[in-house]
Formats: sequence, C-alpha cells, structure tokens
Amino acid sequence: MSNCGNCERTGTCVSVHGSINEMQDRASAMGVDTVFDRYQLQQPQCGFGMQGICCQLCSHGPCRITPKAQYGICGAGADTIVARNLLRLAVHGAAAYSHHLEELARTIKATAAGKTPFSIGDEEKLRQIAGIIGLDAARPAAELADQLADVLLSELRKGSDEPLALVKLFAPKTRLEAWEKLNVIPGGVLSEIRDALTKTMSNIDTDPVDLLLTTIRLSIATGYMGLVGTVTAQDILLGTPALTRSEADLGVIDPACVNIVAHGHVPLMATAVIQAAKTPELVKLAREAGAAGIKVYGSMCTGQELMQRSAGSAAGFAGQLGNWIVQELYVATGAVDLVMLDMNCSIPGLKAAADRFHTRLVSVDRIVRMAGVEDHVDYEPEKAARQAEELVKMAVETYKKRGKDIHVPQAKSAAVAGFSVESILGALGGSLDPLLDAVKNGSIKGIAAVVGCTNNRNGHDVKSVTITRELIKRDVLVINAGCCSSATQAEGLMTPEAANDAGPGLKAVCQALGIPPALNFGSCVDIGRIGVAVTAIANALGVDPSALPVAASAPEYLEQKAVADGVFAVAFGLLTHLGPVPPVTGSPLVTSILTKDVEGLTGGRVMVEEDPVKAAEAIYAHIMEKRRGLGI
Amino acid sequence: MKSIMIDLDACNGCLTCTLACAAAHSRSGSIVGAMQEKTPARIFIEAVNGRAVPVTCRHCEEPACAEACMTGAMRKDSLTGLVSNEGHEQKCVGCWMCIMACPYGAVTAHPRERVALKCDGCPGLPQPACVAACPNRALRYEEPAFFAAGRSRDAACSAAQAS
Repeated sequence: MSNCGNCERTGTCVSVHGSINEMQDRASAMGVDTVFDRYQLQQPQCGFGMQGICCQLCSHGPCRITPKAQYGICGAGADTIVARNLLRLAVHGAAAYSHHLEELARTIKATAAGKTPFSIGDEEKLRQIAGIIGLDAARPAAELADQLADVLLSELRKGSDEPLALVKLFAPKTRLEAWEKLNVIPGGVLSEIRDALTKTMSNIDTDPVDLLLTTIRLSIATGYMGLVGTVTAQDILLGTPALTRSEADLGVIDPACVNIVAHGHVPLMATAVIQAAKTPELVKLAREAGAAGIKVYGSMCTGQELMQRSAGSAAGFAGQLGNWIVQELYVATGAVDLVMLDMNCSIPGLKAAADRFHTRLVSVDRIVRMAGVEDHVDYEPEKAARQAEELVKMAVETYKKRGKDIHVPQAKSAAVAGFSVESILGALGGSLDPLLDAVKNGSIKGIAAVVGCTNNRNGHDVKSVTITRELIKRDVLVINAGCCSSATQAEGLMTPEAANDAGPGLKAVCQALGIPPALNFGSCVDIGRIGVAVTAIANALGVDPSALPVAASAPEYLEQKAVADGVFAVAFGLLTHLGPVPPVTGSPLVTSILTKDVEGLTGGRVMVEEDPVKAAEAIYAHIMEKRRGLGI
Repeated sequence: MKSIMIDLDACNGCLTCTLACAAAHSRSGSIVGAMQEKTPARIFIEAVNGRAVPVTCRHCEEPACAEACMTGAMRKDSLTGLVSNEGHEQKCVGCWMCIMACPYGAVTAHPRERVALKCDGCPGLPQPACVAACPNRALRYEEPAFFAAGRSRDAACSAAQAS
C-alpha cells in the first residue's frame, strides 16, 4: 500500500499516481486481477528466498540455510549460495541485453543493405565511433554501418580471453587500472555468459569471492556492450535524442482513435509501426472503420525510446502511458486495441486482462511468447515495413470489436524529453563547462541517476518519485531512465515548471537553461548514456568517476537486467542505492563485500535504504563528501 | 501439558509449517503428495504489514468452539487436552457454529467436505508436524512455563545489557 502521504487516500491507495489508483478501482470493480491484487495474495513471502539462502540447483535440494542447518547437503554455506544466486540473476540480465544488441546489429546490417524502412539516423556518430574503433571513417555511410555492425557482433561472440574492445576504448583510464588489478576486464559477452553460467552449476565455482568477481566482470561486459554499445548503435540507427516535448500518463489515450501500444524495450518494430501509421492508406482504413485516426503510444522502455526520438525517427509518437505496473491498467481502459510485445517485461497477467476486453496482444520478437497469445509478428529487419503495416491493419480490425465500456483517466502531464550527452552539449553551447561551473560553484551540488524499474513493495512509484523530489530539493540534478522516467514524467517532474520544486541553486540553473530538474535520459538501456555522461565529466575534470559528486539509485529495482546494471554502477565507482533489499542479506560475507569492502577495490558500493527520504539524505551526504574531496 | 508456542520474531513466513501440516493430514504423508491431493493446512500464516504471523488453535481450556457445537462432535479430550471434531461418536454436520464462535479464526471449513477443519494437535506424533518442520524454531512444542522461563531470561539479559 502506498505511503507517500500526499493525500487523504494514504494507506489505502496502491500508487503515487492518481490515474493508477483510479484505474485499479475500476479493475477491482470489474473483477480484473492486477499486479496489486496478486501481490497481496503472495503475502507473506518466504524469508529464505528474500535473503537469498535457498538453493534449488540439484535434486538433493531445495536446501535452505536455517538456524539448525548452516550448510546445504553438498556443504555450500550461505555465502556460496547467495553469491551464486546473485551471479545467476546477473547472467539473465547480460543475456537479455545481448539479445537487444544483436537485434540492433542485424537491423543495422539490413539497413546498410537498403532492406529496412530505417535509414542511418546519426551519420556523424557513426563516423566518430567507427574512427574510435579503428575503421576507415571516410568510407560511405552504408559500408561503414555494415562494418560497425560486424564489429559489434564479433565483440559479442569472441572468446572470454579476448578483452572487449569497447571497454578498452571507452572506459576511463583510472577504471581500467582498477579493473585490471581485479582481473575483471571481460571478453566477448556471450562467452562471459557461458563462463558465468558454467561457474554457477552445482559444485563448480563455490568460492563466494570469485563468484562476486565474476558478477562484476559480467556486469562490466553488460555495461559496455549491452548498455553503452546498444545505446550508441541505437543512436546511429534511429538518431541521437534531441530535445523535444511530449506527454505522459493514461490521460493521453484518445478513445476516438485506433490505439496501438508499443510495449517492451526494443524500439525497432515500434519505430516502423509509427512510420506505417502515418501512411495515407492506413489512415484511410482507420477512418473507414469509424476512427478519427491511428495513434501509437509508448509503454515502459520502448515508449521512452520513442519519446526520446519523437523529434526524429519516432515523430508522431502519441505519448507515454506508464511503466511495468501500468500494463494491465491501460488495457482496462477498454480503449487499447493492440499491444505489441517486444523483448522483456510483458507479464502473463496481461493476457487475462486483455481477454476481459477486446484488446489484441501480438508478440513482435521471436523470443517473446505468452500462453494464449497466438498472434506472432516476429520482427525481421528485412520485412519490418510489411510487418508494421500488418500490425496496423490488425489494430484497425480489432478496433471494430471495441466495446462500449471505456474509461480513460483525465490525468496527463507535459514532459520535456530527448536529453543525451549530445543534446545537453548543444543546449550548453557546445561545452560541458556551464554545467561543470554550476557544480563547482555549488548551484548544483551534484548529479544523481535515479533509474531502473518500478516495484510494488512500497506502493507503485512512491520511492522513485519521493527520492527524485527530495534530491532536487537539495540542489541535486536528477537524471531518470527506465521505469523511473515514466514515474516522474507522470508527476510533472520533467517539466521546466518543476524547477519551482527544486532548491534555489538548481532552480536558478534550470530556469536559466529552461530545463526540468529531472532530465529524461530514456529507457533502462539508456543507463549506458549516464555512463557516457559521467565518463565525459570525469575526463573533463581529470578525475576518476568515483571522485565525482555523483551517485546512482535504483529505488524500485525489480528484475535481472537491473542486477547487472547495479553491479556495473558499483564497478564504475558509484555509490549505488538499492530500494528493495536485494536477496543477499542471508550472507554476512556478500553483504559486507557489496556494502563496504568493494569500495576499496572499485570506489563504488551498494547502499541499501528502504526509506526514500533517508536514502536521499544519504545520497546527498555522499555527494557533499565527494565535493569536499575535490575541494569544491 | 505441552502446547504449540510461537516465537513471533523468529517466523520468516516460509510457510513450511503449512506444508508439513497438510502432509501430516494427507493420504500420502508427503509434501508433494499433499499438494497434489489439495489437502488443506490447519495452521495459517497471516501477513500483517508484510510481517508473517502464525495463527493456530490454542486448544483452549474452555473452548468456545466446543461450547457452540450442536452435535457434540467438537470436544476437548480431558486426557490429552486436544480440541477436535474428529474421531468421536458424534459427527460434525458442518453447521459452522464453531467457526463463528472461535475468536482466533483457528477453525475453518474444509474446502470440499461439509465439515469443520482445525488443528488436531497431531495425536500419535511426538510433536505436531508444524513444530517439527519449522526451520526457524518459531514454533515450539513446550510446556508454557518453560517457554515463559526462556522469555524471562531473555528479558533479563536485555535489561542487564542496557543498564
């Protein structure tokens, strides 16, 4: 239950957003089960699982570490079981990011061959990156893009004994030194995944310290390929985000239109669908069906990707509906005709909600399957234009079956989007100096990345919104990405007017530049963009990232990609706040390493704090300590 | 007489007691078998603000359920002290008076048969199945005075450390 304390429904509501509480009431009245209902039915949850001290690997198990049994049947203690479970979570994250990058590389190759509806969106970045990785940057763009995609694919697939080029080329020197000492500079990501999975099999690697180092190594691979690599390749293909305006929250849904929701993480099919939805013959088809037009909305990270590029390749984007928890509730409006499910975060509960209405679910990625969903339009770069057209036609057909029971909440907020290192440099006149000066003179005390998932443990989006508010109040500039972006967008924190809620220093900077105090960096994969930004700041100041007045927070982290992200942030040298307590507390050793000892090795550490105000205070204290360290 | 005593702070909500209870009352006698037979558990773990709280029959000295029972099926055995509606001459008819009378909600309705269902104290076992299975020693089968002595020692230790 929500405990944000902002209104008379405190203690009985489920979300920080009025629209979501309104829709949950409607879903309850209609007998549609949601995440919120199922969460209650799962209480109480098992303490062994919560602490990570349950092992289900072999048929002697499941074993649990209990007051009477300090070891599993094989002799593995709490430290081994916890570290092994954590690495398995990170492997999942690394694998999913690799899938995203591979789809992208395939698309770039097909685009270079002129077989997709896309074109190279940022040729300047293509040439710049190609130059850095040692390609002949003077070659024609298509040829260069094809070569770059080949490099990415070979980096994904090479052996774990061949160091990743992107790490060597893009990581700050001081980081490389720290990682070399720990022997955690990774090789090819798929090989690292194989090694890590092999290590986590029963009785192969049972040394908790080595398992944690492997988690760090895998997370660095994820950081530079899955995050930085994906973001860069995505910019090259779809264009680097440029400043733009959009809208967020369920009130953006227009019941008069054929409504398509792009849900997931990989914005390729979604971009093709936005383009298809603008073609006159499909618009005509929608009008003939009785609709005013066709609208493509965003959900979760695919939506953030589209919003970030709505001044370019995603022009025509109709707005962001919400994050992970919102999926069943936008279906419950009765006004959503088709949801296209791309990789990751399509919950099985969505099908039951969709069946209660007319909504059609279509998987658009070969690895996404959901019981009962029979429509698969699996993305293939060469067929994307035709597939997008087919999806829009399916949506128009489904629109004709729409019922009369429709309810769309009024709530929506404006949002400024399109922040990236490049667009920030553009806004600052080509140099980071104005931003660095503001940090040096204390108008901005520091920068915090409040990123990652949403989670119902403390009420939907309560923690991400509260931490963002508390930080901007303390003159800390906030960067949001992932589901946290949807959270703060809906609450108006990504409008320039939100500067009024910031402390005097940050407020003045925001007003001078006309920017919000919470900047949208995009999807969860755009956490890579934050890595690029921190690297740029560290290089400009000539210090290691761990010396900067910056911090990361994943206040509502939920799934495995976030585990790899979080460990990467620690490896990168950042204080990394986690909201829900990760399943490691059953091991005193792992808990101590992650929250204390690792700081001596990488400069970063995990900070666990469930109270969002106390978490913001601790992040602020950390930032002030780093300022003192730099003498500013 | 020994009783099921609960150390609330030690319970972490793992639900092992509910599985062991169901197993002990199933035909198969195993946890997996009980899950397949859908044997109901007779001990409940309630969640209160995220905290797990075990609730089970206290086998009261003057049981409200037995008082309310119309057929006489629900009775307290004077020898064992256990309160049960099973194994007696009189049959439970499922009038649910016992359910309405019990202040703890420890008596419930069988999900498929028209009989009341409650903890029978696992007669014949050295200790109730839930207690034997608890990995955290949150459930104990002890003389109440022995449990109290442990508590009073703990309280005394804390007081001494604090002073």
